[in-house]
Parts: sequence; C-alpha cells; structure tokens
Amino acid sequence: MAEIVKVLLLDDEPIVGKRLKPAIAKLGCEVEVFEKPTDALKRIAEKEFDIVVTDIRMDEVDGLEVLQHVMDRSRRTKVIMITGYAMMELARQAMEKGAFDFIAKPFKPDDLRAVIVKAAESLGMSLQDRS
Amino acid sequence: MFSDCLDKWYICGLKRLKRVLDKQLAKRSTAESDLEDNVQGLADRRPRRRRFTIKAHIYIVFVVSLVIAMSIGAALLLTMFMMEKNLHFIETANKYVYLVYETRDRESDYVLYGKGLNESLETVRKLEEIVLEHYGDLKKNIDYENMVRNIEKYGKLLEDVEELEGTPQAAGFAEKKEKLKAELRKYGSEMLNAADVLMKKEVESTDKMMLLFRLVHIYALVFLFVFILMVLHLLGYRVLRSLNRFASYTKLMASGQYMNIVPDNSYSDEFYDLSLAIDQMLKDLDRQQNILAQSQKLRAVGTLTAGIAHELNNPINNITLTAHMLLEDYNDLPDEERLDMVKDLIEEAGRARNIVRNLLDFARESETIMEPIGLGEVLKETLKLANHQIKIAGVNMDLKIASNMPRIHGDRHQLEQVFLNLILNALDVTVKGGLIKIEVAVSDEPNFAAVKITDYGQGIPDHILHHIFDPFFTTKAKGKGTGLGLSVSQGIIAKHGGQISVSTKVRRGTTFNVKLPITTIPADLDKRSETAIDTQMTQPVL
Repeated sequence: MAEIVKVLLLDDEPIVGKRLKPAIAKLGCEVEVFEKPTDALKRIAEKEFDIVVTDIRMDEVDGLEVLQHVMDRSRRTKVIMITGYAMMELARQAMEKGAFDFIAKPFKPDDLRAVIVKAAESLGMSLQDRS
Repeated sequence: MFSDCLDKWYICGLKRLKRVLDKQLAKRSTAESDLEDNVQGLADRRPRRRRFTIKAHIYIVFVVSLVIAMSIGAALLLTMFMMEKNLHFIETANKYVYLVYETRDRESDYVLYGKGLNESLETVRKLEEIVLEHYGDLKKNIDYENMVRNIEKYGKLLEDVEELEGTPQAAGFAEKKEKLKAELRKYGSEMLNAADVLMKKEVESTDKMMLLFRLVHIYALVFLFVFILMVLHLLGYRVLRSLNRFASYTKLMASGQYMNIVPDNSYSDEFYDLSLAIDQMLKDLDRQQNILAQSQKLRAVGTLTAGIAHELNNPINNITLTAHMLLEDYNDLPDEERLDMVKDLIEEAGRARNIVRNLLDFARESETIMEPIGLGEVLKETLKLANHQIKIAGVNMDLKIASNMPRIHGDRHQLEQVFLNLILNALDVTVKGGLIKIEVAVSDEPNFAAVKITDYGQGIPDHILHHIFDPFFTTKAKGKGTGLGLSVSQGIIAKHGGQISVSTKVRRGTTFNVKLPITTIPADLDKRSETAIDTQMTQPVL
C-alpha cells in the first residue's frame, strides 16, 4: 500500500479551495487548503508536503516566494503554479526556479488532477486518476 | 443757389446721421432683452438681426464728410466773392475821393490864381463818369441821387463860371463871380462830405468782411472738429470695442476655455460674421479635441484591459471549477451544497460583469455633462478602474479625502480620464511595493479644490519638464504611450476652468496638482453652460 500523497492548495480565492478540495481528495490525496499565504507558509514549515499547488499572484506574498520557501524546505516537493494568461513571464521564471509545472486560469478540475497525478508519478507515488 | 443746394445736402446728411444715432441708442437699451434672447438659443436670434455693416458705416461717414467738406468750400467761396465785391467798392470809393480832392484843388487854384478852370471841368466830368459807372457799388453805401445831383450842380456852376469869364465886361461881373464862387465852395464841400462818408463806409465794410471771413473759418474748424470726434466715437469706438472683445476671447481660448462669442451689437456686421466664423472654428476645434481625447481614452482602456483580462480570470475560473464539480458530483451532493454552488455561480458571474461594466462605462463615447460632483467619488471610481493594474504593479495607494469637500462643477467621465492618466503615469514610475499618494483637499487658492497625485519615482529632469504637456511627447517605449495623456488631460482641465501644475525632484518623485473651481462658478457662465445643455448643443461651454 502506497503512502498517501499530501497536497497543500493555496489560492486567495476561497471558491478555488472550496471546490478543489473534494476534487483532489477523490484522487486519494490528503488535501489541506489555505487562503492566506502566511498561514500556508507556516504550515509548510511544520509539515513536509508532497505536492504544493499555489496561485502566483496574491496580495501579501506572491507565488514565487511560496515556491522559494518550499524549495528551501524540501527539494523533493513538487510545486504546481496557477497563473493567469497575462503572466507567462512569471510562469517561465517559476519553471526556472524549480516549479514542477504550471496551469493557467481558467482551468477545469480535471486539468489540475492530471497535473497532480503526473507530479505524484514523478515522486514515485501512485494515484487513481479517474480522468 | 449753389450754397442753398449744399445746405440741403448737409441737412439731409445730418438727418441720416441722427437716424443712425437713434438706432444705436435704441439697440443699446434693448441689449438686456437681447441677452434673454440669448438664453432661448443663438440659432433663433441670428436671422432677426438687422444688417448694418462697418462698410456701410464707413460709406455713410465718407459721404457725410464729403458733403461737409463741400459745404465748407462753398462757404469760403462765397466769402471770397463778397470780399472781391468789397474790394471793388473800395477802389471806386478811393477813385472818387481822389477826384473830389483834385477838383477842389483846381477850384482853389482858380479862386486864388484865376486859372485851371478847364482842368477843373475835366476832373468833374471824370468824376461824373465814375459815379455813373459804379452805380451798383455806390448805390448801397450812400445817398446816390444827392451825390449825383451835387456833382451835376457843381459841373453846371463851373460851366456858368466859364461862361461868365467869357464876358468880363458884362454888368455885375464881379458880383456874379463872387456869388458863383460861393456856390462852388458850397457844393465842393458837399462833395467832400460824400467822400468822407464813402471813406467811413469803406472802413466799415472792410471790418465787416474781415469779421465774416474769420467767423466762417472758425465755424468750419469747430464743426470739423466736432464731426471728427463724432466719427471717432461712432466708428472707432465700435471697431475698437469689438477688437478688444475679441482679444479677451482669444486669451480665454488660449487657456483652453472655449465659449461662444456672443456678439454684443444687435445688428449684424463684419464682427458678427467673424464671431460666427470663430464659433464654427471653436466647434470644429472642440470636436477634434474630443476625438483626440476619445482616442487617448481608448489607449488608456487598452492599458487597463491587460489587468482586467487577468482579473476576469478569477471569477471565470471560479465558475469553471464550480460548474464542473456540480456536474461531476451532482447526484452525490446534498441539496444544500448544490444550492450553494449555484449561488456561487451567480455571484461570480456578477463579479465578472462588474469588472467589465466599469471599463465599458468609462470607454464609451459620451456627451459632456457638466454637473455638481464630488471629487472624492471621482477618485474612488478611478481607483476602481485602475485597481487591477495597481494590483499587478504591486503598488500601494494612499487615498486621503478631506472631510466636507465642496462639490465641483464638471464632467465625471472626463475627470476620471484625467486622474486615470495621472495614476497610470505614476504607476509606470513606481517600483513594486512602492507608494502612490493621492490627496483630495481644498486648494490654497480660494474657491479651488485640489487633487495631488504624488509618486516617489525618478522625477522629471528639467529638459523634459517643458515638454510633458506637449501633444505626442512621450518618454515611454514605442507602443506603450501615445504622448497624448497629459496633453488631453490639460485640455480637459482647462475646459473645466482649472489647471494642472507639476512639481518634481529628480530621484525623489513627482507631484501633479490638479486645481478645479468649486461652488462659486460665476453665475453667467453657469447659466451659459446650462443653456448649452438645454438647447442640446454638442459644444461644451464653460
């Protein structure tokens, strides 16, 4: 029996967390959702996550800083960035800094699930992707 | 005859002048009612004006001047003619006096020495000739018949004496001779008296003529002087006043305040035509400025669009996620949860709509509507428009609005455009995490409100500072700025009767200060703008 994949989801839009939490949980992951980057950073410091999904543009701390923190904390954690159309440059920077992948808003739950499955596979963990 | 004719012309000219004067006076007194007409709309009033051009005015003045000059010439000719006549009389009188004296000389020669009687007769004949010849001249000045009678009598006496001398031996010769001599002396002295009278008349008439001559000259001069003053007043004043009015209008125009030139004369003339032409020019200029402002606005909208498109992603993403999850889990979810999801869908759709609506409301072409507005609200609306841009730039906005701000008179959308331009400019020079300060307060200048937008960027160097309000001047990269933002903003603020000033320090930052007039917009200007709106004129009038 494989280890449960631990996922942290950070987006300052509450609905994103609210809807994606059950969607990702269906993959058999353990999901924690945060709206405030500071809270998320605190939690990252406490616990090692397998996968971190974060929005790039947020008011207090932006996604690149979150990425930096995660990378500092654990190199093996896969970080998936959520971006907007106008921010391809930021996405490119994120990839250079070691993000696993990025996904552009607006996206379908299945799009994110596919990326998460891919990330889990690259960690050598398995998930049941329903899609 | 000729002078009578001139007089008639002169009177006719004066009457005409008087009519013109009356007309002007009447028109001036009705100027106020004219202003009321103004309120009813310019178009109504225009065809009603009577035409009295400056050209016609000049023609009238010219004709009247000609008549006056000719009258004066005629008067001078007349006096000259009279002088000539007088000279004739003087000549005649002098001849008469001379001959009378000569006759008396001969007479005394004869009385003393008994010779020269023939010469005496000769001079009397000459005297007689002159008197008869110059009947006209003498008749008016002296008792002519008496004069002629005296001369004839004297001549007769001389003949008698000659006859008596022919018969010296006749009886009573000496007595007769003495008697004739006495008679001769008597009539001689009568003739001398007449000569004295003539001399006196001569002096009198010369004096009279000189006086008349002088008076005619003086009157002509005085009349000319008065006439020139009148012409100066009527024509010069009319032209100069109009010119001055136009000069003051052009000053206003130069500062960007386009207003209708209201012709103050109630008749139409060249200046009236000019004011119509300038009005048309202002309309065209204003239309062009509006087009320019609109195109600049669309460029600003273009800048905002990137931020807004990005911001739109959030509600659309929320809708996508919620809808998909609803579809996916529809059968497994409790009713409550499904309702919650539907509510989220509606809410997020509304959010997307609001984001777009603000922008479209700002972007659409709108007529100028001057109304009392609060500057604070305008600034808040502007910040909402630029909100996404500000978020992307990661800049903090510090908006301070003084309490009890008086309202100003202006067009909401145009002012939003101005502040948006200034805020976007400030954003461009502010680093991530930087600050932009916006202060809305009453200005130091009385009756003005001020909006100060301060950034802490690199400032504007001197050599650029002179050009920042020039159209098409930009320091931004190609494709990023049109160079119209500040130029259009200045135009809009000038139309509102305000001004934009800038203070800057290199490497310290820049403050743009927008001053706008508050409450006390002069009543007539206010009225004019309302009139313009009432009559549905597209031209914005301050």
